[in-house]
Amino acid sequence: MTRVFAAELLKLRTLRSTWGFALVALLLAGLATAGHIGGTQAQDRLDPEFQFQIVLDAAFPAAVLSLLLGMILVTNEFRHGTIARTLLATPRRDRLVAIKLLAGAATGAGLMIVTLVVTASTAVVWLGILDVPLKLGEGTEAASRAFVGVVLAGILGAAIGGAVHSQVGALVGALVWIFVAEPLCWALLGLLDVGGAAEYLPAASLGGIVDSGGGGLPFAGSVAMALAWTAVATVLALFRTSRRDIT
Amino acid sequence: MIEVERLTKRFGSTLAVDDLSFSVAPGTITGFLGPNGAGKSTTMRAILGLVLPTSGSTTVLGRQYRELEMPLLRVGALLETFDAHPGRSGRNHLRVLAVAGGIPRSRVDEVLALVDLGAAGRRRVKGYSLGMRQRLGLAAALLGDPEVLVLDEPANGLDPQGIRWLRDFLRSLASEGRTILISSHVLAEVAQTVDDVVIIHRGKLVRHAAIAEVDALAAGSTTVRSPDADRLLELLVSAGLDARSVGEGRLEVMAPSEQVGEIAASAGVVLHELSATRATLEEVFLELTGEPGERGGA
Repeated sequence: MTRVFAAELLKLRTLRSTWGFALVALLLAGLATAGHIGGTQAQDRLDPEFQFQIVLDAAFPAAVLSLLLGMILVTNEFRHGTIARTLLATPRRDRLVAIKLLAGAATGAGLMIVTLVVTASTAVVWLGILDVPLKLGEGTEAASRAFVGVVLAGILGAAIGGAVHSQVGALVGALVWIFVAEPLCWALLGLLDVGGAAEYLPAASLGGIVDSGGGGLPFAGSVAMALAWTAVATVLALFRTSRRDIT
Repeated sequence: MIEVERLTKRFGSTLAVDDLSFSVAPGTITGFLGPNGAGKSTTMRAILGLVLPTSGSTTVLGRQYRELEMPLLRVGALLETFDAHPGRSGRNHLRVLAVAGGIPRSRVDEVLALVDLGAAGRRRVKGYSLGMRQRLGLAAALLGDPEVLVLDEPANGLDPQGIRWLRDFLRSLASEGRTILISSHVLAEVAQTVDDVVIIHRGKLVRHAAIAEVDALAAGSTTVRSPDADRLLELLVSAGLDARSVGEGRLEVMAPSEQVGEIAASAGVVLHELSATRATLEEVFLELTGEPGERGGA
């Protein structure tokens, strides 16, 4: 397991697209942090929620990127035909799916570390210039939540990739779900007067982890729901991957 | 070493492999032959655990491929479809496999040099020619220094120089005592390299024989001309050979020319002509894999 996991990490490190994702995460984290600080009134910067929210705002793009990169690290195998060689090295397909999920987690962790470094650096410098006192406790709690959310997004992405296999299908499907289908579900459930049910949908569950201010599920509930959706996707990934002929 | 036992594989309504059984003995090179679409790649992928049999089984080294521990150290494979990420360098492609397969990283540069890709190893794979990709595939197959090699159409895309290189390369691998199953749709391509051939057509076994037997099939007939043709015909028939007169003192004999010449000489029959009519290996191959209508040229 260890060597196959190490191979997965090496696969990621030896592709330019991975570093492209890291660069985009870095830029988005910087922009999100700068936008949040710059767009907040001076008196609001002293609010305890302010520094908490800086980290969570930066975590949102990292979570989306983590989800997408998680999908790519599985669907790339099918897109470029490398799955055959991967399965020759790791013929137990259930084991390969498990390792891909771990690689998804590692991808999320990596992206979140980049995000946190950029966010913390930008915030420390900028808030220092503005003479706003830093509240380490708020930042640490937010960072922990964000870390959990982004890592789970990576795992969920890998599981979805394992279930769908088609790169275009997985990426387009995920983006359409996040930005079109799930908002429509929110609206529909609201019209049916069961708006609370929308909090249990996949993107809302992940969003609930990194944003507790929306009045949705509590942190633990969001984590539980995100894990449940990941479990569903994992079962589908195991089923699909174990039955597929690699031709 | 490699066992295929009553393997059947269906893809929807298409029957790709039909109740196929054969085995590859340890330390031999076996040519796995058949026209395009005969089911060779499907069978090889079933052996490697990539295609799941509809029924039947395949084993390598006595176990199903997926049950092998550290499989890259036991079995090397070259697949017909290219299986390296185009954005990764050839060297990094092999590094990934080495890490996944528990293979010392020093082997990466060794096999790159072995397939003459040392200089191109750091280039991204998308810039490789077809021949270079085949060499990289061979490098991947050899990475774990395996005792068994499963090579699917390794000569595809190689120029004549490359094919010659491959032939010599396979010979050197064979001399090291490795077991090799090599597929091809051109018999002549592998005839000089293999010990045995397994010929399939439309997923079914047509013939599993030593290459010498297939070669004997190509021996064909002998034409002999003699002023004493009637006597010679009697001698040949009494020797149990299939011989017939074709007129003007000529006989056609379904036997090697050496045998015909020896019979004539021992009886003191004068010969004016003794010529072998030899079919090419490809003609034999087409004969074995052809449909009745195709054979007759209809």
